[in-house]
Amino acid sequence: MLMRLLFDLQFGDRIVTLLAALVLVLQIAMVAQGWIVAHIRIFAAQSFFLSMIAATIAWYNHAPHIYIAAVLTLVVKVILVPILFERLVVRMEIQREIEPIVNVPLSVLISGGLTLVGYVVAESFYRPGAAGLGHNALAVAISLFLIGFFTMINRRKALAQVLALLSLENGLFLAAISLTYGMPLIVELGVLFDVLVAAMVLGILVYRIRETVESMDVSRLRRLRG
Amino acid sequence: MIERLIESGAQLFLLLALAPLVTGFIRKLKAKLQTRRGPGIVQPYRDLGKLFRKSMVIPETASWIFTATPWILFFSTVLAGMMIPMVTAEAPLGLFGGALAVIYLLGLGRFFLALSGLDTGTSFGGLGSSREMTISALAEPALMLAIFTVAIGAGSTSMSEIARTAIEQHWRFFAPAQMFAFAALALVLIAETGHIPVDNPATHLELTMIHEAMILEYSGPYLALVEWAASIKQLVLMTLLINCFWPLGLQPAWSGFGALWGIGWLLAKLLFLSCAIVLLETTNAKMRLFRIPELLAVAFTLGSLALVSTFLF
Amino acid sequence: MLLIVLLLISAATAAASFFARRRTVMEAANLVGFAGVFAVAVFLVAQVLAHGTVSLGNGFFYADSLSALVILLTASVALVCSTYSIGYLRDDERSGALGDDLSDAEQIAQLRMYYTLTPLFVFFMMFLSMANNLGVMWAAIEATTLASIFLVNFYGRVTSLEAAWKYAIIGGVGLSMALFGTIIAYYAGHSLAGSDAISGLNWSVLAQHAAQLDKTSMRLAFILILLGYGTKAGLAPMHTWKPDAYSQAPIPSTAILSSAMLNCALYGLIRFYILAGRCLGVEYPSHLLLLFGLLSMGVSVPFVLAQKNYRRLLAYSSIEHSGIMVTALGLGGPLGTLGLMLHMTYHTIAKSLLFLCAGNVQQHYRTDMFGEIKGGVMRVMPLTGVVFLMAMLAVVGMPPFSLFQSEFLILRAAFDGGHVLTGVLFILFGTGIFAGMLIHIGGMILGPRGDTAAVERRPWRNGSLLALAAALVVIAFWIPAPLFQLISGAAQVVRGQ
Repeated sequence: MLMRLLFDLQFGDRIVTLLAALVLVLQIAMVAQGWIVAHIRIFAAQSFFLSMIAATIAWYNHAPHIYIAAVLTLVVKVILVPILFERLVVRMEIQREIEPIVNVPLSVLISGGLTLVGYVVAESFYRPGAAGLGHNALAVAISLFLIGFFTMINRRKALAQVLALLSLENGLFLAAISLTYGMPLIVELGVLFDVLVAAMVLGILVYRIRETVESMDVSRLRRLRG
Repeated sequence: MIERLIESGAQLFLLLALAPLVTGFIRKLKAKLQTRRGPGIVQPYRDLGKLFRKSMVIPETASWIFTATPWILFFSTVLAGMMIPMVTAEAPLGLFGGALAVIYLLGLGRFFLALSGLDTGTSFGGLGSSREMTISALAEPALMLAIFTVAIGAGSTSMSEIARTAIEQHWRFFAPAQMFAFAALALVLIAETGHIPVDNPATHLELTMIHEAMILEYSGPYLALVEWAASIKQLVLMTLLINCFWPLGLQPAWSGFGALWGIGWLLAKLLFLSCAIVLLETTNAKMRLFRIPELLAVAFTLGSLALVSTFLF
Repeated sequence: MLLIVLLLISAATAAASFFARRRTVMEAANLVGFAGVFAVAVFLVAQVLAHGTVSLGNGFFYADSLSALVILLTASVALVCSTYSIGYLRDDERSGALGDDLSDAEQIAQLRMYYTLTPLFVFFMMFLSMANNLGVMWAAIEATTLASIFLVNFYGRVTSLEAAWKYAIIGGVGLSMALFGTIIAYYAGHSLAGSDAISGLNWSVLAQHAAQLDKTSMRLAFILILLGYGTKAGLAPMHTWKPDAYSQAPIPSTAILSSAMLNCALYGLIRFYILAGRCLGVEYPSHLLLLFGLLSMGVSVPFVLAQKNYRRLLAYSSIEHSGIMVTALGLGGPLGTLGLMLHMTYHTIAKSLLFLCAGNVQQHYRTDMFGEIKGGVMRVMPLTGVVFLMAMLAVVGMPPFSLFQSEFLILRAAFDGGHVLTGVLFILFGTGIFAGMLIHIGGMILGPRGDTAAVERRPWRNGSLLALAAALVVIAFWIPAPLFQLISGAAQVVRGQ
């Protein structure tokens, strides 16, 4: 029976939906979390599930070039970028994040609302049969994008903003996978390379900010006005 | 007719007898994980027996609420327990609206308990009541949303219907709506039954008490009733969680062999869930009181997402 | 072939500067490299004029007149700025602006960072102008942002850090939106036959079949691209990073950012506009473009009038000019598109010239506030003063300078096409900017001499200034025929022919 499941398209669809739901829950968890290290780990877990989604889609839809995207995502976003950031956190000796601008229960509720918006947008968008995946994954992708955007505004610490930006890109990756089975390989390569370099560059910037202003709180950087 | 009586009797007996065992098991396992010896698994029975034999002390300032609450709490919880499918998908009682009745009965019990905490006029009681109400203000909606999600999926609020639908559709659990509902319900379970990270009934410190603070003034048989009701409520919520989402081994209809098979599976699943709860308790510290609404906000959001996603699919 | 050579030279320059030990080697590498890039760009223009388009690698690289124009402008700005930066950075070293407490090795390291990142920056700008695949174009634009972040943070002060952070985050968010738009554009084209392979996101293929693309998706895609690439171009309301970045980065980088990078961001926008125009008809995209363009122009007026810092003033002027160019794009038609391309060319020359002059002023007075300079720049630095005044008049659109011609064309396009409100607002905002810049910069340059020291000789900087100023003056009266052919070819591409 297990063998039959491995080839049943409906079952694959269910697995993808399940994983997408997990990814969404992790994104909401990122909104509710206070510890920076937990943020990094949640991001790693989220990217892991994303690469699993990509692999599942590649298997069930016989699209081998997505495997490469899945493996690349695994290497860059699950291994390299979190290691980079954890090293940074250790060097900077960060303590816990202060309260975000909107308090946690309200942020979580707002994220729920944004998920609804994501569903509505995906609904208006989706043409059944184009990618055969169900519009759940696309809805989750758009929600990830919106919630990441909201988190960037909501958080004061630089590293948290960077992680929110990266989770936003995760949403875009999922959107690409669910809309069109991923983009052409060279584009995926380019995007992932950019993500890696962006993580490094932003990491260095965060470190410099911490060194110069003695804090990662970017609301302290407000000397330039007018 | 006779069968219905036997079924009801069996479920009643199971509720009353199994509840303290579950509590005892959780306590023992927790102790073992903390490298203590811990009380025996059957200790809660001994405690209940001892409490029933002791005499009572009732505060002078208490009113009828104080004396009525243990009975109301006990009977409403047992009634709620009779309405959920434990051994087979057929629950013995099916009062006005199934799932709604369960929620309201549990809510009734809690309402009276909170009132009794205030009734005695001590500061601990008031403290416990206000904390309990804070938690339940977020936990109850989450519970309702989760149950409604499951009900919508089954097309009816009758608990038997819900369980039967769960048995018929195997992979329904993989749908995000069900997953979210499960997560929300699990969080509510932790909150309502007084486990770490929400509450720690083992301590009697002002800083950490919620449930214990409300029942601090009870003694003797009343205390026995209240504690028993708390264990039964825990069993009810756990069974709800188990039988709505993992109906493996649940029989659609009552039969002799089916009952034994059902009881066996129920015990196995309760064991598994208790282990999960104990693991959660041991690996986490109790949350500070003002952080609990954050946890429950997550439960609420998950519940609403669950409900909404049944419509968007 | 020339396309690859362009990329190779830039990459080689970056590598050479990275491995160099001495400052003179780095300077020479940059100068020679950018001279080579400029020469190759001119050859490329010749080829494009001869053959129409140049394509390479099975359609991976694609250069038509629009790409060639952008490449030529980028190459010229890079060359002039590399000449200027030699004098500029030497002066910074002497005066200790690089950081008083840095050792010699650390100063060389900082210089190395500048001389390596700038060719890398130019490399990616060239790459994006010739990339056919829209996703690869996006990746190159993101890479230019990443390369320039550390250029903005060159001086390492708290304010530079703040500027670099804002630039990084706002740019990052904007480009994510652009990526989303690109994905949706790919989705819109997914229903075309054989689009699973790389050619699915190729602009040339999409442009041919644009009428068949899915309309709802293209609408959403265009909005996202406008928001995304508009952030990079500095359109309001996503413009807030510009004043900070332009006031904190070293002057040559600012010049490149404000002219070449702006052109490249607009290039990305134009490519999508062509697709959207063919797919949805010009109504919808042009309304959006007019909205953002006029908004940008309007937003910059109060900030120009009430400005205290001349570098931020120039940044707001740059925001205004992106607004003008986007308005021109929105107006469309033969006049609008020609006006856009002319404006792009003239603006590149004038804006980079303005920033170089500002650099001269800043390095002498060591401040970028009007209040502290109090006027009389012309008497202290005659060459800089005159050129600054002239460039300022050019940028606000004073005849006989060339920007007047392009803005006049755009106004004609507005009134001819019935966009009366657009034309009126354009004139109003332009007048506001004119007043602001004249008052502030005129006040700074003219007037009696303050009590400051005399200016020492500055061959590199003044030389590049003179070259650009000469170009500005010449182009006001005469534009070389091949250049004009290139510009009108680019305008034709924008119109969709």
